[in-house]
Amino acid sequence: MSLRLRLSLILGGAFILIWALAAAWMFRDLRSQMMFSLDQRLVASARMVAGLVDQLPAPLSTQDGGTRFSADQLSIPDGMACQVSSLRGEILARSHSSNQQALDDQKSGFHDQIIDGAHWRSFTLARDNVRITTADRQQEREALNTSVLLAASAPVLMALLGSLGMLWLGVRHGLAPLGRMRDALTQRSPDSLEPLKVDALPSELQPLLATQNALFLRIARTLERERRLTGDAAHELRSPLTAVKTHLQVARMTDGSVREQALENAELGADRLHRTLEQLLLLARVEGSLSFDDGVQCTAEQVARLAIEDASHGDRERIDLQLAEQLSSACLEMPSVLAIAALRNLLDNALRHSPATTAVVLQVRSETGRVVFQVQDHGPGIAAGDLHMLTQRFWRSGNQAGCGLGLAIVQAIVQRCGGNLVFDSATGGLRVRLELPLQAERQGSAKPVVSRVEPAAHDL
Amino acid sequence: MHVLLCEDDDLIASGIVAGLGAQGMTVDRVASAASARSLLHTAHFDVLVLDLGLPDEDGLKLLARLRQQGLTLPVLVLTARDAVDDRVAGLQAGADDYVLKPFDLRELSARLHTLLRRAAGRTVNVIEHGPLRYDPSSRKAWLGEVAVDLSRREQALLQALLHNRGRVLSGDQLKDSVYGFTDEVESNALNVHIHHLRRKLGNGIVETVRGLGYRLGPAQLPEQEGA
Repeated sequence: MSLRLRLSLILGGAFILIWALAAAWMFRDLRSQMMFSLDQRLVASARMVAGLVDQLPAPLSTQDGGTRFSADQLSIPDGMACQVSSLRGEILARSHSSNQQALDDQKSGFHDQIIDGAHWRSFTLARDNVRITTADRQQEREALNTSVLLAASAPVLMALLGSLGMLWLGVRHGLAPLGRMRDALTQRSPDSLEPLKVDALPSELQPLLATQNALFLRIARTLERERRLTGDAAHELRSPLTAVKTHLQVARMTDGSVREQALENAELGADRLHRTLEQLLLLARVEGSLSFDDGVQCTAEQVARLAIEDASHGDRERIDLQLAEQLSSACLEMPSVLAIAALRNLLDNALRHSPATTAVVLQVRSETGRVVFQVQDHGPGIAAGDLHMLTQRFWRSGNQAGCGLGLAIVQAIVQRCGGNLVFDSATGGLRVRLELPLQAERQGSAKPVVSRVEPAAHDL
Repeated sequence: MHVLLCEDDDLIASGIVAGLGAQGMTVDRVASAASARSLLHTAHFDVLVLDLGLPDEDGLKLLARLRQQGLTLPVLVLTARDAVDDRVAGLQAGADDYVLKPFDLRELSARLHTLLRRAAGRTVNVIEHGPLRYDPSSRKAWLGEVAVDLSRREQALLQALLHNRGRVLSGDQLKDSVYGFTDEVESNALNVHIHHLRRKLGNGIVETVRGLGYRLGPAQLPEQEGA
């Protein structure tokens, strides 16, 4: 049911009900007023007849069944009967024909009585030695009443119909902005994300339009971002694939050392493809809801050593591990595999951007409830304006190797595990501060859970 | 065919250079938009193969700028982005063809030949010059009905001359077309190839324009073999 119909029905129904109640009330009042007036007319007529009887020269006799005097004579209105009788019940005079049954006039006041099958309303006035009774037909009273009511109901009905019409028009006019909005919405294509334009909207609808348009904008941005990410991912996967394919084709076309070189290059491409895929999958898993908790818990020191082992590929000399004196022995409050992956990516990054002759410094210290890993490299650093780009997927500074996902993964891990990641390039080289949460420390807490860490491999 | 390849990915670039080289093309490779620009201004190429994801400048911007500067060289765009919008943008920026990574080397070279043919205003692939016919894609030459066996360098030399019919090419330009910029060339190497070409296709095929360079001349059946 349309809003307009609904509103019209509700308001129209209420209108009709209220008007009907008001009309019923009015009609009832009108009717009782009418009856009262007609009764008053009976009383007035009776009094007038009494006055006339007093003025008659001869006393009224009872001979001949009563004197007939015309209604005109007594100035009785049409349709009204009048009867004058003695106290003993003799009819002295009456306005209607004698073969009619006499009016009952034994009691004073108003009476309803049936004479010759017709309903009459009578009023009897006792005066000196006569009773004067005036009466009119109920039927005539009702007819009069009906015509008055009819006359009164016509304007009421007109007013009701008029207001219903106005209501219909008013609702239509009032709901016009909604109609415009509906038209604007139905005319747009289902996948359009253009902002909706509706002119002259009332203030109630403006927030709706604004919210709607803001939503469209947000969806458009999200779609654009997703589209770009898909494009980036396609690019990152196709590039190594292209290298593999091209070199395999070269290998097929050539022979000897050129062929060997081409096959070697194809293998390099395959390795790159593999790395990119692994990183993409890790990122998807970290961003998804997959559980990484394998029950293995590591302390900050263990995480640092495992990450160095992973990142240095055997060349541990390039990473200078500096452990703080009072390093907490609590385990990290997160899956150790994620902590190691995050730190390894930071170290990878630092190594890749540093000259081969310089060392990357990894400082580990604990603060209340957290452990801080700080990685400092001696590379070219990065412009302050580009710092926020670092964690964007597939962003690389300049023409660097690497798949552009490492820091995005770190950021995702930090977000997932409630850590913190800060970049700073003011000191020459890039300094990255990675904060990860620690478990609440217990007394005499458990020592090494992971056996891969050899205490002898201390390169501080 | 002298190709300038602008591709930042070393691994892909080395594959294309080797692959197109194996198909008789001379390929010079640059890794940035800046070096592509400077090379295009100083040397002659037959076709540009442009990767869109360059480190210093968006490939499409580079292309649009080059076109504005009046570069008429056919350009084939290489990209890993396959969205329709990307392709349309590429063609609008002035690309003549569009190849999606990963591609087939044979397809790439076929497309390059087609581009070159179209640039020369030909609708069939075989170039005819008097009794000489040359098919750049199969790199076969015929003189009359007789197939002529040409070495890779000779093919490149002949192709450069055929593509620049009526124009005088300097010795350096011809050297670039035959060797690219990277090969170390002995000073008289070009003369040797010209000599061989004359022997196989007739003395007049390469005309020497004194002080300026060389020009394509009429092909004729060599006397000693035609006899």
